[in-house]
Amino acid sequence: MSAVNNSKANSDAFLAINGVTKSFGAVQVVRGADIAISKGEFVSFLGPSGCGKTTILRMVAGFETPTTGRIVIDGKDITDLKPNQRKIGMVFQSYALFPNLTVAGNIGFGLKVAGKARAEIDQRVEEMLKLIGLPELSDRFPWQLSGGQQQRVALARALAPRPAVLLLDEPLSALDAKIRVSLREEIRAIQKELGITTIFVTHDQEEALSMSDRVMVMYQGRIEQIGAPFEVYNHPKTKFVANFVGTLSTMEGTIADAAKGSVDAAGTRFDGVRLPAGATNGAAVTLALRPEALRRDRRDGDLSLSGEIIDVDFLGSVIRIDIKAGGEKLSLDAFNDPTTPPPAIGETMTVHFAPDAVLTL
Amino acid sequence: MSVQSAMPMAGSGKPNFRLPLNWLGLLPFIVFALLFLVLPTVHIVVGAFQDRDGAFTLQNLLDLRNGTIPASYWISVKISVASAALGCLIGFGMAAAVTLGDLPRWMKSPQLTFSGVASNFAGVPLAFAFLATYGPVGVVAVIMRQSFDIVLSRDLGFNILSFWGLTSVYLFFQIPLMILIITPALDGLKREWREAAEVLGATGVQYWRMVALPILFPSLLGTFALLFANAFGAVATAMAFTGSSLNIVPIQLFAQIRGDVLGNPNLGYAMAFGMIVVTGIANGVYIWLRTRSERWLK
Amino acid sequence: MTRLLAWIAFLFGALYFALPLIGMTEFSLKMRRGVYSLDAYVKVFADPRFQETFSFSVMMALATIAFGVLLVVPTAYWVRLKMPGARPWIEFVTLLPLVIPAIVIVFGYIRLYNTSSFLPLTGSTTGTNILLMFGYATLALPYMYRSVDTGLRTIDVATLTEAAQSLGAGWVTILSRVILPNVLIAVLSGAFLTFAIVIGEFTMAALLDRPAFGPYMQLLGANRAYEPAALAVIAFGITWACMALIQLLARFAPKPAKPVKE
Repeated sequence: MSAVNNSKANSDAFLAINGVTKSFGAVQVVRGADIAISKGEFVSFLGPSGCGKTTILRMVAGFETPTTGRIVIDGKDITDLKPNQRKIGMVFQSYALFPNLTVAGNIGFGLKVAGKARAEIDQRVEEMLKLIGLPELSDRFPWQLSGGQQQRVALARALAPRPAVLLLDEPLSALDAKIRVSLREEIRAIQKELGITTIFVTHDQEEALSMSDRVMVMYQGRIEQIGAPFEVYNHPKTKFVANFVGTLSTMEGTIADAAKGSVDAAGTRFDGVRLPAGATNGAAVTLALRPEALRRDRRDGDLSLSGEIIDVDFLGSVIRIDIKAGGEKLSLDAFNDPTTPPPAIGETMTVHFAPDAVLTL
Repeated sequence: MSVQSAMPMAGSGKPNFRLPLNWLGLLPFIVFALLFLVLPTVHIVVGAFQDRDGAFTLQNLLDLRNGTIPASYWISVKISVASAALGCLIGFGMAAAVTLGDLPRWMKSPQLTFSGVASNFAGVPLAFAFLATYGPVGVVAVIMRQSFDIVLSRDLGFNILSFWGLTSVYLFFQIPLMILIITPALDGLKREWREAAEVLGATGVQYWRMVALPILFPSLLGTFALLFANAFGAVATAMAFTGSSLNIVPIQLFAQIRGDVLGNPNLGYAMAFGMIVVTGIANGVYIWLRTRSERWLK
Repeated sequence: MTRLLAWIAFLFGALYFALPLIGMTEFSLKMRRGVYSLDAYVKVFADPRFQETFSFSVMMALATIAFGVLLVVPTAYWVRLKMPGARPWIEFVTLLPLVIPAIVIVFGYIRLYNTSSFLPLTGSTTGTNILLMFGYATLALPYMYRSVDTGLRTIDVATLTEAAQSLGAGWVTILSRVILPNVLIAVLSGAFLTFAIVIGEFTMAALLDRPAFGPYMQLLGANRAYEPAALAVIAFGITWACMALIQLLARFAPKPAKPVKE
C-alpha cells in the first residue's frame, strides 16, 4: 500500500484541485475542495449521494465549471479547457457505450476522432481488448454484452487514447454483487499496471477502502477527511467519517476524570480512554466502537461490559451479535467457529475491548 | 363482435385445439382489414393491369405517359419531397433546440401540444387560413399594400398558388408531425453518450456525425417516408387552396374518379396504382436503409 | 451565439405558425365593412347546410369511434394476451393507412362495393354511410391502435385476465368490465384524435358523395369570402379542444396495474 503523505506540497501533485467551489444558483454543492493527487495514485471520493463528489469529478472532466478555484493537471491549468481538450478518460455508471458502434468501434473512438491512422487504431484496440480480457468480442455490439463486459469495454475505451487521468464515476454500481467484486480487483490491477492517476467516485465504503491508495470522504459539499484507508477507518477525524466508513456502535457518556481518561457510559466506568485534547470533567462525550474491536475473550488491560444478547446474525464467515447494555446497543463481530454454535438471544454476554480501540467523537 | 368469436375459446377445454383457435380472436380485425384496406387496394392494383373487358394489359400504365399525367406526378413528387425534407429539417431543428437545451426546457411541453394541434389542422380549413392571410385580399397582402404600397404578386413575384406556396402550406402540418415523432427519439439520446464522446476528444460535429445521427438515422428516415406519403396523398388542402391550378396527382385522380364516364376508367386505376408505387418506393427505401443500419438495433 | 441563433430561428418559426392563425381570425371578423363583427359566424351558424353537415359529421365521428373501439380494443387485447407473435404483422397492417393514400382506398371502395358487387354498399344511402364509417375507421386505425396498445402496455393484461377468470368472469365481462375501464384513458385519447380527423375529412366524404362537414367547407370556400375563415377558426377550435382533452386525459392515465375488484 503506497500511502502518500498528505502534507506533500501541491507543486508536487500531478492533479491538484485548489480551492474549488461550485454553486448551482443559491445552492453551494462543493464548499471549497483542496486535494493534491500524485502521479499513479488511486484516490476514491467517498460519500453519500448529493455530497458533491460527482460534481468535483465532473469539474475535473470539464462538464461543469468551478464557481471559484482552479484545477491543474501535470502543471497545466485546465480549469477553462473544454472536456475534449483535457486528455482525460472517463467511465460512467451507465456504461454509456455508443450503441451504434461495435466493441472495437467504441474502443477506437477516441483515437479515431484524434485522426490516428487506421493501423495504429487497430493495434491499440487489440491491445486494449487483451488488457480487459475480451479479445474475441471485438465485433459485438453493446446490446450483445453483459453489464460487466460493457463496463470493461467502457474502461478500455477510456484508456485507449492514453489519457493523463482516469475518472471512474460509480462504475460498479449498476452491476451484480459478484461481478462487482471481481471487476474492482481487475480495475485496480489494470490501474497499477498502467500506473495511471485515477479518481474513483463511489458511495460504497468497501469499494473505496479495498481499492484506493487514499480515500477522500465528503459530506454536504465539504471534504471531511483525506487519508489512506487504514487511517480513515481507524482514525476517523469527524463523527460523519466514523459513522459513514464502517459500522460503529456508540455510547453517550460523561467524562469523570479527564486526566485518567475515565468516562461513565452505559452504567459502567471506562478508564484509559484516549480523550480529545482539552476535555473537561463533566463534559459529555460519545464513545464509539467498531464491531471487530469487541471480543468475547479477555486480554490484559481490556475494558469490559456485560449485556443481554438482543440479536444474532449469522453472516457466514462472521457472526454479528448485538447486545444491549445499560441502555446502549453494541455490535460485535466474531469469526464463525464451526465447532461452537452461536449464542442464543436472551443470554447474557460480556464483551471486552482494548482502551485504544475506543473512538471518542 | 370480436368478443363473440372469442367465446368458444373459453368453453373448449381440449388443449390440442387451442392453438389454431387463437386465430379466431383476430378474425374480426382480419376481416375488416381485408374488406376495407387490403381488397380495395388489390382491386386497384389488379384493375391497373386490366382493360375494360378484364383482360390483361399494360396499356393503362403506358397511358400514364400521356397528357398532363407525367407532369402531375413530377410536381407531386417535388412538392412531397420538398415539404418532407424541409419538414424534417425544420422540425428536427425546432425539436433539437428545445430538447437539447439551446432554448428553455419549459417550452417543450407547449411546443408538443401545439404540434399535436397543428399536425391535425390540415385539409380545407388550413387552406382557408393561408388564403385569409396571404391571399390577394388576405391580411398580410392588405397590410403590405396599405402600409408599404407593395402588391405581393406584382412587386415581389409572390404567388401563394404556386409550388412553394403549396409547399409552405404543407409545412404547417409537416413540421409539427416531425416534432411529434422526433422529440421522443431526441429524448432517447443519453447525456452520457455526448459526455463520453466529448471526454474522448470528439468535437460537437464529430459527436453528431459518428454517434447521434447514426442513432437517430432510423427514426429520421422513417419520419421522412411518413411525411412524404402524408404530402403525396393530401387532396383536401391542395384542392381547397389552389382549386385545380396546381395539377398534382391526387387532384387529377379526384377529377378522374368524379368524372369517370368521360375518360378511360382503367386509367384511374393506373393513376392510383402509380400513387401506391410511389409511396411504396418511399417506404421500401426506408425499410431497405433501415435493415442496413439495423445490425446494432435490438 | 448558438443560443441567439436558436431564438431567431424560434421567432421565425413562431411567426410562420402564428400568422395564418391570426390571419384567419382577423379575416373572419371583417365581414362588416370597417368594423370587426361576428357577422361571418352568425351567417355560418344560421346556415341550415352548416347544421346538417356538421351534425352528420359528428354522428359519423361517434359511429366511427364506437366501431373503432369495438374492433381495436379486443384485437389489441387478444394480441397481447394470446398472440404476441402476431404483433408485428398486426402493427404493420394498422400502419398501412398512413402509406396508402386515402383517395386510393376510397377509389377502391367505390369500385369494389358498387351496385353490382357482392357487397353493394354504395347502392343505398345507409350502405354508403356505413361504408364511409368503415373508411373513417381505416383512416383512424393507426392512431386508435397505437393509443390502445400503449394503454395496454401499462397494465398487466395476463394477470388481470387470470384474476377475472378466477372470479368466474367470461370474455365479454373481462373485456367490458376489466380491460376497457383500465385502458379507458388511452381509448378516449384515440377517440378524440379520431373525432378531430373525421370532423374535417374531405376526400372520402366527397367521393362517396355524402353531405359531410368537409365537403361543405370546401363548397363554401369556393363561393364565399368571409365565412370560410370563420369555418377555419371553428375547425381549429375543434382540433384544439380535442388535443386539449387528450392532454388533460394523459394526466389521469394509470401508472401501475390496478386491482381488479375489491
